[in-house]
Amino acid sequence: MNSKPFNPFAMAQAQFDRAADFLSLDAAMRDLLRFPMREYQFNIPVRMDDGTVKIFRGFRVQHNDARGPGKGGIRFHPHETIDTVRALSMWMTWKCSVVDIPLGGSKGGVVCDPHNLSMREQENLCRGWVRQLSKDIGPLIDVPAPDVMTSAQHMLWMLDEFETINRGHYPGLITGKPVGMGGSLGRTEATGYGVIFTLREALKELNIKVENTMASVQGFGNVAQYAIQLYQQIGGKVICVSCWDQTDQTSYTFRKMSGIDLQALLKITDRFGGIDKNQAKAMGYEILHGDAWIEQDVDILIPAALENQITADNVGRIAPRVKLIAEGANGPTTPDADQIIAQRKIFMIPDFLANAGGVTCSYFEQVQSNMNYFWEKDEVLGKLDLKMTSAFHSVSELARKRNIYMRDAAYFIAVNRVAQACRDRGWV
Amino acid sequence: MSDADKIKGRLLDSLQERAKELNCLYEVEEVLSNVNITLDDAFGGVIQAIPQGLQYPDSCQPRIEFEDTIYQPQNFAETRWVLSSSIVVQDKVVGSLKVYYTKELPASDVGPFLKEEAKLINTIADRLGHFVMYHRMKQLFHSLKKTGTEKDEENSQSWQVALNLLRQTDRNLFLNISHKMLNYLCWSGVEEAKRLQQYYNPDQRSEEDQVFADTNRPYQKRTLSFSSDFLSDETFKIAADHLSDNEIFTVIQKWIHEDRMSFLLETLNRNSSLAEVSEALRKYYRMSPGGVDLPTLSQRGARVSLVRRFFSDQLDYINIAKNHIEIVDFYLLMQNVIYGPESHGKLGGKAAGMFLAYQILKNAEVASGLLSNLKAPKTWYITSDVILYFMNYNNLQDVAEQKYKDINQVRIEYPHVIQSFKNAHFPPDIIQGLSVALDDFKDSPLIVRSSSLLEDRMGAAFSGKYKSLFLANQGPKEKRLEALTDAIAEVYASVFGPDPIEYRAERGLLDFHEEMGIMIQEVVGVKIGQYFMPAFAGVAFSRNEFRWSPRIKREDGLIRFVPGLGTRAVDRLSDDYPILVAPGQPGLRVNITCDEIIRYSPKKIDVIDLKDNSFETVEIKRFLKECGPLIPRVSQMISICDRDHIHQQVGPNIDFESDELVVAFEGLISRTPFVGQINTILKLLESKLNFPVDIEFASDGHDFYLLQCRPQSSADNAAAVPIPKDVSPERVIFSAKRFVSNGRVPDITHIVYVDPGHYGELPDRADLLAVGRAVSRLNQLLPKRQFILMGPGRWGSRGDIKLGVNVTYSDINNTAMLIEVARQKGNYLPDLSFGTHFFQDLVESHIRYLPLYPDDPGVIFNERFLKGSPSLLPEILPEFEYLSDTLRLMDIPRITNGMVLQVLMNADLDEAIGLLVPPKSVLDSGETKAAVSDSGTSEAWRWRMRMASYIASLIDPEKFGVKGFYVFGSTKNATAGPASDIDILIHFQGPDEKRCRLEYWLNGWSLCLDEMNYQRTGYRTGGLLDVHIITDDDIARKTSYAAKIGAITDAARALPIPNRKKNGD
Repeated sequence: MNSKPFNPFAMAQAQFDRAADFLSLDAAMRDLLRFPMREYQFNIPVRMDDGTVKIFRGFRVQHNDARGPGKGGIRFHPHETIDTVRALSMWMTWKCSVVDIPLGGSKGGVVCDPHNLSMREQENLCRGWVRQLSKDIGPLIDVPAPDVMTSAQHMLWMLDEFETINRGHYPGLITGKPVGMGGSLGRTEATGYGVIFTLREALKELNIKVENTMASVQGFGNVAQYAIQLYQQIGGKVICVSCWDQTDQTSYTFRKMSGIDLQALLKITDRFGGIDKNQAKAMGYEILHGDAWIEQDVDILIPAALENQITADNVGRIAPRVKLIAEGANGPTTPDADQIIAQRKIFMIPDFLANAGGVTCSYFEQVQSNMNYFWEKDEVLGKLDLKMTSAFHSVSELARKRNIYMRDAAYFIAVNRVAQACRDRGWV
Repeated sequence: MSDADKIKGRLLDSLQERAKELNCLYEVEEVLSNVNITLDDAFGGVIQAIPQGLQYPDSCQPRIEFEDTIYQPQNFAETRWVLSSSIVVQDKVVGSLKVYYTKELPASDVGPFLKEEAKLINTIADRLGHFVMYHRMKQLFHSLKKTGTEKDEENSQSWQVALNLLRQTDRNLFLNISHKMLNYLCWSGVEEAKRLQQYYNPDQRSEEDQVFADTNRPYQKRTLSFSSDFLSDETFKIAADHLSDNEIFTVIQKWIHEDRMSFLLETLNRNSSLAEVSEALRKYYRMSPGGVDLPTLSQRGARVSLVRRFFSDQLDYINIAKNHIEIVDFYLLMQNVIYGPESHGKLGGKAAGMFLAYQILKNAEVASGLLSNLKAPKTWYITSDVILYFMNYNNLQDVAEQKYKDINQVRIEYPHVIQSFKNAHFPPDIIQGLSVALDDFKDSPLIVRSSSLLEDRMGAAFSGKYKSLFLANQGPKEKRLEALTDAIAEVYASVFGPDPIEYRAERGLLDFHEEMGIMIQEVVGVKIGQYFMPAFAGVAFSRNEFRWSPRIKREDGLIRFVPGLGTRAVDRLSDDYPILVAPGQPGLRVNITCDEIIRYSPKKIDVIDLKDNSFETVEIKRFLKECGPLIPRVSQMISICDRDHIHQQVGPNIDFESDELVVAFEGLISRTPFVGQINTILKLLESKLNFPVDIEFASDGHDFYLLQCRPQSSADNAAAVPIPKDVSPERVIFSAKRFVSNGRVPDITHIVYVDPGHYGELPDRADLLAVGRAVSRLNQLLPKRQFILMGPGRWGSRGDIKLGVNVTYSDINNTAMLIEVARQKGNYLPDLSFGTHFFQDLVESHIRYLPLYPDDPGVIFNERFLKGSPSLLPEILPEFEYLSDTLRLMDIPRITNGMVLQVLMNADLDEAIGLLVPPKSVLDSGETKAAVSDSGTSEAWRWRMRMASYIASLIDPEKFGVKGFYVFGSTKNATAGPASDIDILIHFQGPDEKRCRLEYWLNGWSLCLDEMNYQRTGYRTGGLLDVHIITDDDIARKTSYAAKIGAITDAARALPIPNRKKNGD
C-alpha cells in the first residue's frame, strides 16, 4: 500500500500540472502558479468566558491576485492545516477565472471547533482575525466570505471590526452579508439558475429544443428547486426528483411521468429539501428507491445533491437516451464514472462551471457594496445570465476546437486566463 | 322519570345542599382568619355569611349574643323557628349563636332545619369560641410585644400587666406559668422559692422536710386548688425580688410560646388522625399567625413529627426537611389536603420532594432577586390512604392481592381493574373535598399526578411507572368533577398495573405497603387561542450526562426544554428534538451552524385544547401561523432565519406568515436570567439536599414554576455502574479515564473497528470515502444495537475527512455505541468531535458516546485484540476487501468462544471499561424467563428476532424444501411493538406436498408464538407469523416480496438455517 497520506494541496498541484502541460506553460509560470503568492499564519489570543486566554492559529492564503482582489471563504475547522487552505485558495483562483470575473483566489481559516466556543468567544475570534490582517485584506485587496462553520453573523462581526479600525464604511470588504446589511438580492436563486443558464446554452449547441426535453433531478434543496423552476419556465419537463427522507433515514425518488408540479411539491417539503412521502403519494407520485433518478429514460440528468453520487457502480444504469449531465452539486461524479461518461459522449457541464452562479453573485455583491448602490433582483439575475452564458461558450468553444472533454476545457481555460494576466502584468 | 333518575335527583339536591354549607363555612373561615379584624367586624361578617348555608336563605336571620352585645341583621324579629348553639371559651359560656326562620317552613329533621344545618351552626359557634380566645390571646401578646420594645424600667409594669391579663383570659396558662416560674426560681437557688415549692408540691420534698412525709393527707389537694392564686402571687413576689424585670418578662414570654406548642406536640405524639392534626395546626396558627420567633427544641420536635406525618419516615429526608419547613408551612399545606375520616396517610414521594425543594428555594437568600419570580403551581393533595378508603368503599379490597398473582395474570386482568376502578364511586367526603378543590382551581387545566410511597423510597428509579393525566377542566362543574374523579381512579388503578408490579417483584418490594397519594396541580400556562400551554417547560439535571464539548463539566448540568407542555422534554423523542443547554456553560451550544440549529429545533408542541377538552400535539409551523402573535414573549422563543443568517427580531413585527421561524429560545437563553436561575436552583438544591437533583419546571412567560424535584438517578441503563477492578487484562478491550458519562452497554456481539493508523495513511480520498460507505453497509447488516463503532478522531467529518470517517447519522444509526479514538501523533493529540455532527440524534436514540485516549497513562487499549483478531469484513463485504487493513469487523462470540462485550461507564469515577463477559441469556435455555424481563416496545422486536432465529434454526430444509429463511419489516427494523406480527420470507423450492407440510408446521408456530406473546403483553392477534413464500422464479423475476432479498433499501435479513445434506430437490 502507498504509505504517502492524502494531501489536498498535492492533489491540487497535480491537477494544475495537467493543465500546465496542456497549455505548455514555462517553468517560471508553473512555479508562480503552483504555490500561493502570499501566506499569512498568525496567532489570535482570545479571552475565554472563564477568564483564561486561549491562543488560536489563523491563516490567510492569497494564491493569486493577477486578475483582481483575492476572493475566498474563511473556515472554522478543528483540524485546519495550511495545506488544505493552500489547495482551496488555488481552486478559488480557477473558479473565479472560469466565469471570467475580475477576482483572484484566496482562502482563510482558524483552527477551532465552534462547538467548543460560545458566541462571545467566536465574536472575539472573528475580530482578532481581522485585527491581525487589517492591512492585508480589504475591498481592493482580498475579500473574505463565509465558509465551513462560519455564517453571516461572523461576517458582520469581521466587517464591523474592519470598519472600526479603518474609520469608515467598507461593505465591499466581505461577502455573504444579509440583505439590508450590504448583501445582494438573488443569492438564493443564483446557483440553481446558473445551472440552467449553462444547460440552456448547451442544448442550443446540441441543437435540441428545450421544450422536447425531459430531466431527472437528484436532490430537492435550494439549488435543485431553483434549477427546476427555471428549467420548467423555459419549457422543459422534470419527471422525477430524489431526496433524503429524515424519518426513514434513506432517500427516495418521486416520479410523475406527466411532469412534477414544483409549487405543489414545495408545499410538502421541509427546509432541507425533504419531501413528505405520504403526501406525495397522495398527490399521485410514484415512490421509487433513492437511486432511481439515475436510471430514468430522460434527456438530461441534474445531480444537485451531494458529492460522489454517480459512481462506477451506477453509471452503467444511465439510460441510452441521456444526452446531457449538468452538475449542480460539487463533485457529484467520481473520476472512474467520469471516464465512462466521457466515453459514452454524454455532454457534461462540469460542476466547476455549472454551479459557478454562486461565486458570480458574490462578485455582484462586492460590486454593489463598493458603489454602495444595490440592484433589484431582476438586474442581478439578468447580469448573472450574461456572465454564465458567455462563460459557457468560452469553455465549450475550447472543448469543440481542441476536441477535449468539457471538464478539462473548463479547467484549462481558467488556468489560461490567470497565466495570461500574470504575463500581461509582466510578472513572468 | 325513572327510579334511578329520582335517586340521582335526590342525590344531586343533597350534594347541592352540602356544597352550600361548605361554601358558608369557607366564608366564615375567611372572615375569621383575617388577622387584624375586630370582634365587631368579625361577628358582623359571620352574620352575613350564615344565611347562604341554609336551605331557605331568604327567610333566615342569624343572631349572635356575646357578653353584653347583640349582633343581628336590621329588621330582626324573634320567631319560634330557631336553632341555637352556645359560644364557649375556656369551658365558660360567653354567648350564643342563633338562627331564626322568619316564617313557617316545611318540617325537617330539627323543626324546619336539616340535621346537617344544626351541625353547621354548632361548628360555626365552635369556631367563634376559638376566635374569641384567639382574639384575647392576641391582645395579650400584643401588649407583651409592645412593652417588650420599651425600656427596662417600664418592663416592671408591663410583665405585671401581662400577667394580670393572662390571669383573666387563660387561667390554665396563668397557673402553668406560675408553676414554671417557681421551678425556675428553685433552680436558680432562691431559698424562699424552694420553701414555697415544698409547700406547693410535697412530693418533691427535701430531706429536712421529712416531717411532712407522714402527713400525707387530703389537705394537700385543698392547698393546690385553694391557694393557687396565692401561690402565684407569692411566686411572682419572690421573682420580683430576685430577678430583673427584664428577665421575668423574657421568661414569661418564652413560656407562653412553649405552651402554645405543647398541644400541637401532644396531638402529634398521640398518633392522632389527620383531622386532629389539622385542628391542632389551625389552633397553633391562630395563636401565632406570624410564626414563632423562638427556635426551641420543642419546635424542632414538632417539625420532625409533622415531616414524618405528612411526608416521609426516611431519616435522610427528615434531617434536611426539619431545617427548611416551618410549622406554619404545614398549616398552609393542610388547607389543600383532602383526606378521609381517621386518615393516617401521607402525601407521597413526589409531593414530599416538591414541597421540600420549594421551601428550600423560597427560604434561600439569593443575590439580586434571581429567584424572585419562582413559584409553585397551586396544588391540592389527596393523602395516600384514600386509595384504601376508596377501595373499601367499593368493596375492591381483593384487588390489593393482585400483586401476588402471576405476572401474566396481572397483565390479563389489568384492563378489568382499570374499568372497575373507573366505575367505582368515591366516598362523599372525598367528593366534597374534590368539589372544594375544583372551586379553588376554577376552570384552569389540571394535571393529576401520582405521588406514591414507593416513589418516595425508590426515588427517580420508580418514577414514570405510575400515571399522570392532563385534564382540560372545562365545562359545567359536574362534568369537571366527573373527569377529575375518573382521572384519579385511573391513576389509582395504575398501582395494580403489570409494569409496576413486575418492577416491584424483581426488586423484592411486593410486600412493601404501597399507597398512592395524588397531587392535583394547576397546569402552568396561558390561554393562546383555543389552546392552553406554558411558554416553555422542561426538565433540568444538576449533573450533565451528555456532554457535547470537553469544556463542559459534569457539574455544569443540563436543561432539556421545549415550547408548550413539558411532556416532550421529559421523554426521549423519536421524531423531534428539545433545546439543550448546559446551565454552567450556557455559551457552549450543541448546535452551531445554521443547518444544525434548524434541524435540531423542536418541530412539534404539546398543548391542551380547551375547545375539544383534550391533550394534543400540534405542528409548530402551523401553531405559529395560527397563534404566533398571541404567545407571551414570543421574541424570546423564536429566531428568524434568513439564508445562513439566524437572528432575533428587535421589534415586535415578526411576520408569522412568511418569515422562516426557528424555535431556538435564543432570546430566553442569552438575554434573560433564565439559565442563571436554573443554574442557581440546581446548585442550591444539590447542596442542601446532598444529592444530584432532577427538576421539572414550566413558565407562563412571566413566572418560573417548579413542578417537581427528585434525586437524579437515571433509568434506562444510564445509572453509574461499578467498575470492576480485578479483571484479567486479556478480557479488557479498552478502558477510559476522561469525559465518561454514566451507563452500561451490554451484550455487544460485534465490533466495527477503523484503525486510526491505517486510516490516516490511506492515500486517496476515494479510499477514505469508501471506508464511510463500508461502515454504512455494515450498519445495515449487523444486528441493531448489538455492535459498536470504534474509529479515529471525528466521526461524521465532511470536507477534510482524514480527521474521521465520513458518515451521516443514517450510516451509524443502528450502533449501540460510538467510540472516538484519539491517538497521539508526535506531540499532538487530535481533537475529538464528541459526536457533535449528530449529537442530538445520538441522545434521542440512546446511542452512547465514549472518547478513548489510548496513550494516556493507566488505560488499556487492547490493540492485539482489535488488530489481531480475525476480521469478517472480506467475508461479508467482499467488495471492500481492499480496506481490510483499515476497517475490521470482529464477531466477538466467534473469536472468544461465546463471550460478549460489555461496556461499563461510571461518571462519578470518570472511568469506563469495555470487557468480555459471558452472555446473559442463551437462546435455548431459559427463553421464557428472559422473555418475562423483556418489557416495553423496545424489547418487542428483540424477542421476535430471537424467536425467528430460533424457528429458522429448527427448520428441516429437506423435509420442507426450504432454501432460505429471511426476516423483514418491523422485526428486522427493530420497530416492532407488542402487537406487531413477524414478517417472514421463505425461499421455497419443491413439490406442493412439501409446501403444505411447511405451511402446516409454520402455522403451529404462529399460533404458539401468539399465545406466548399474549402471555407476555396481553395482545392477541390470532397468529404471529406473517409468512410469505417465494420461489426461484420469484427471485429471478424479482416479483413481489422477492424484491426484498438484496434490496438496496430495507432489505430482508437472512437467518441461518441448518445445512442441507444434499443439494436440490
